[in-house]
Amino acid sequence: MMPALLLQTAAVDEAIEMCSVRVGQTFFGIPVTCILEILGKPAKQPVPLAPSYIGGLVHYRGEVLTAVSLRSLLDMPAHDATEDILVFEGSDGYFGLLVDEVGEVMTVLPADFESNPSTLDDRRKALFAGTYKLSNSLLVMLEPERLDPVRLAEAAPP
Amino acid sequence: MPADGKPAQVLSSLPDNVSVDELTREFLIESQEGLDRMERCLTELEERPEDRELLAEIFRAVHTIKGTTGFLGFSRLESLAHAGENLLGLLRDGKLSANGDIVSGLLALLDILREILGSIEASGHEGHGDDAGMIHRLHALQRSSPQDANYESSSALAAGLPSTDTSPNASAKKKRTRKTKAEAGAVITPLNDAETAQAQETTGAIEVYQAEPQTVQARAAVNAAESTLRVDVDLLNRMMNLVGELVLTRNQILQMVSTDASLAILSRRLDMVTADLREAVMKARMQPVSHVFSKFPRLVRDLAQQLNKRVRLVMEGQETELDKSLLEAIKDPLTHSVRNAIDHGIEMPNAREAAGKDPEGTLRLRAYQEGSHVVIEVSDDGGGMKVERIRDKALERKLITRERAAQLSDRELMQLIFLPGFSTAEAITNVSGRGVGMDVVRTNVEKIGGKVEIDSRAGKGTTLRLRIPLTLAIVPALIVHSRGQSFALPQGELSELVYLSVEQVAAQVEWMEGAALYRLRGKLLPLVFLGSLLKQQEQANDLRGAYIAVLNAEGRRYGLVVDSLADPEEIVVKPLSSVLKRTGLFSGATVLGNGEMALILDPGAIAMQSNISMALEDDEPAVLDANVTDGTDEYLLMQSTGEHVAVPLESVLRIERIPRAQIERLNGTPVLRFAGTLLPLKDGTGEEAASQDGEMTVVVCRDGERHVGVAVAQVLDVASGKPLNEAGTNAVASDVALLKDRVTSIVDLKRIPVLPSARLPQGEWVETWEADGVTEVSA
Repeated sequence: MMPALLLQTAAVDEAIEMCSVRVGQTFFGIPVTCILEILGKPAKQPVPLAPSYIGGLVHYRGEVLTAVSLRSLLDMPAHDATEDILVFEGSDGYFGLLVDEVGEVMTVLPADFESNPSTLDDRRKALFAGTYKLSNSLLVMLEPERLDPVRLAEAAPP
Repeated sequence: MPADGKPAQVLSSLPDNVSVDELTREFLIESQEGLDRMERCLTELEERPEDRELLAEIFRAVHTIKGTTGFLGFSRLESLAHAGENLLGLLRDGKLSANGDIVSGLLALLDILREILGSIEASGHEGHGDDAGMIHRLHALQRSSPQDANYESSSALAAGLPSTDTSPNASAKKKRTRKTKAEAGAVITPLNDAETAQAQETTGAIEVYQAEPQTVQARAAVNAAESTLRVDVDLLNRMMNLVGELVLTRNQILQMVSTDASLAILSRRLDMVTADLREAVMKARMQPVSHVFSKFPRLVRDLAQQLNKRVRLVMEGQETELDKSLLEAIKDPLTHSVRNAIDHGIEMPNAREAAGKDPEGTLRLRAYQEGSHVVIEVSDDGGGMKVERIRDKALERKLITRERAAQLSDRELMQLIFLPGFSTAEAITNVSGRGVGMDVVRTNVEKIGGKVEIDSRAGKGTTLRLRIPLTLAIVPALIVHSRGQSFALPQGELSELVYLSVEQVAAQVEWMEGAALYRLRGKLLPLVFLGSLLKQQEQANDLRGAYIAVLNAEGRRYGLVVDSLADPEEIVVKPLSSVLKRTGLFSGATVLGNGEMALILDPGAIAMQSNISMALEDDEPAVLDANVTDGTDEYLLMQSTGEHVAVPLESVLRIERIPRAQIERLNGTPVLRFAGTLLPLKDGTGEEAASQDGEMTVVVCRDGERHVGVAVAQVLDVASGKPLNEAGTNAVASDVALLKDRVTSIVDLKRIPVLPSARLPQGEWVETWEADGVTEVSA
């Protein structure tokens, strides 16, 4: 659904609503249409022996939500502060994305979109969909599909 | 009449429905069920060819299919069902008697009907196939009977009937008219010789005359169906999930409200309603095992014929119920086991006779409930397994080493058949013996939390026992902590808990080249440290005591060392995402009463990962069994007021923690009402200790025939001790033993007063005593 959405909106040249999230110093944008829910600082349970990018388990509407940590995906040091979680639908049920903080919803124009720079390392190229040029900063575009734990597991066997 | 035959053909050539509509779906479900019933009845029919009920049942199944296909326009089904119905009509009317050929023919018909139904379900149309052969076979069977001549004459007699037949029929209900027409039409196609066609016509007539009782029967069936309702399994699953949520929420509420009295009453009510609702939903998911068993008569019959063996199938406990999903899951393992039993277990008839057995072998399928498990046994009275052969085969296939084989007991050798790639059959047969047998059975059963046991005696037979949990969704578990994190440990595998204080951890955990061991009642128990197994981060290095959870997972016995324990809880199992399943040590996750999440440990997987080998069953010290007396006796050491007391371990039945307020007095003797029975008590807690705490530990012991309780402040340990001799006399001092280097008094269970009922056996007295004494006390 996601790549299709991206192409479509680019073609129609309409403003896209993005939810901005922060991890470390970087701002990322995720299309609001694919976010099911945002959980503010829920209690999470670590999973011993799990791959490093698994941030833990969170109770979400009677289900056990596997949460991916964007922080550890980007090789940033873990920190103690509680994180916000975005809930997406993945190929194997729901999954969550742990981010430092969820910011505001902003609109971006497809015209401002540029694909990943070639100088970016491969790991990040695989994670990011590209970037939007804002007036005074960049908003890195994330696609939930690329963050699906199933896909991450395939990319990096434990 | 040929003209009448056309409509059915025309209907079938109408554009095929791509998606199966509601009506067709209903028809499919009904027909499948009918065919399942028919299959069951057919195999029974072979044994009781004259059973009218069975014939009527089979007839009904085919008849229903035929009736419905008429207006749904499935012409293949219709003509096949019709041919079958004609044959069955003759059987039902006693004009033919069922023999092996007829049953085989009808079973073949059943298979074709099933195939077509499957095709309709998948693609919306019947698919292409030539049914002429089948129809011809059914017709041939109609003529095969010795009573044939008899039948011909009656048909000749009836040949004049058609005119009288159609006229009342025309005035009859519309539905029935159409049925007759369709039937008569279909008849024409396969037949060539006029004589049979005439006979055919007559059968049609017979059918019409019997339509009346038939409808009455059908109506009765509908009434039975009205009290039940088809429910989508997905919906049931969702209900189960919601009930699970409710259980969790209840758990949380129960933990919160302990302070407020009125809320406590409300929450108690919520507790009850939740429990009832849970039970009801679970009940709705239950299905009798007969759903799975019902396909075995056919399987056994076919296999036995194929292998030229004679097998009698006995099925018991078909009404035993099991969760639907579990029932589905055991279908394959069970089929496998039945195949194995017939192929490898039961011998050829002459071999059986030579061994002095009934040439007909018996295969017994038995289901029964045992506690929270359903046990399904597949037992045969065949050749059994020779332990030597199993060993040789295992050596030959290099599944074990010669040294290891020499160490194994018979029982352990028997378990080798569960290893992948094991098969003792001399030759690979069509049926089984490709070496993918018992290991698949075992894996599948273990996947749903069950266990497989095998028991075999050479020459006597083999019994395979599948032990299946009643339900998967909600399990009792003990919550344990390891380095600050909670985990749920299913209680099914937990056999006991041992507490080690800081000093004991240092002194009693022994190390053998990196492997930690603990002496549990004289036997070495391998230890697995949960914290290091999970590579959890070491907490501040303060020394603390530890608990050893003694686990028995599929015969693998080991101690799991955890930091501390919390209360047992009923947990709702939530599946883990596929990524997390790969860690292998967790079977799921759950939300605890305090809202915290906990991973559910998989004792079997932990054992495998830690290389814990399977123990011998005889090796496992039965905690409550008394056969460990080797000069020293084992005692349960308890803390009473100010002193240690003990009871012989062999007499201990169970240990309960009970609020002190539950103690009542009867003629001065403290008693406990316990699950509807009365337990005399020796109160060793003392009043003052009790008032401080509010709870006490009651050790329920066996004293001869009766049960007695010993109330103490807490249970300390199990210790072995020697009797002490009295100084001077050298006589063994009674009621005293040296336990853990302390003189400890042994509670004399015989001195606990006998209840009045036992003293005075007169019925009247007992009654008045029960009526007055106890009710008064409890009021």
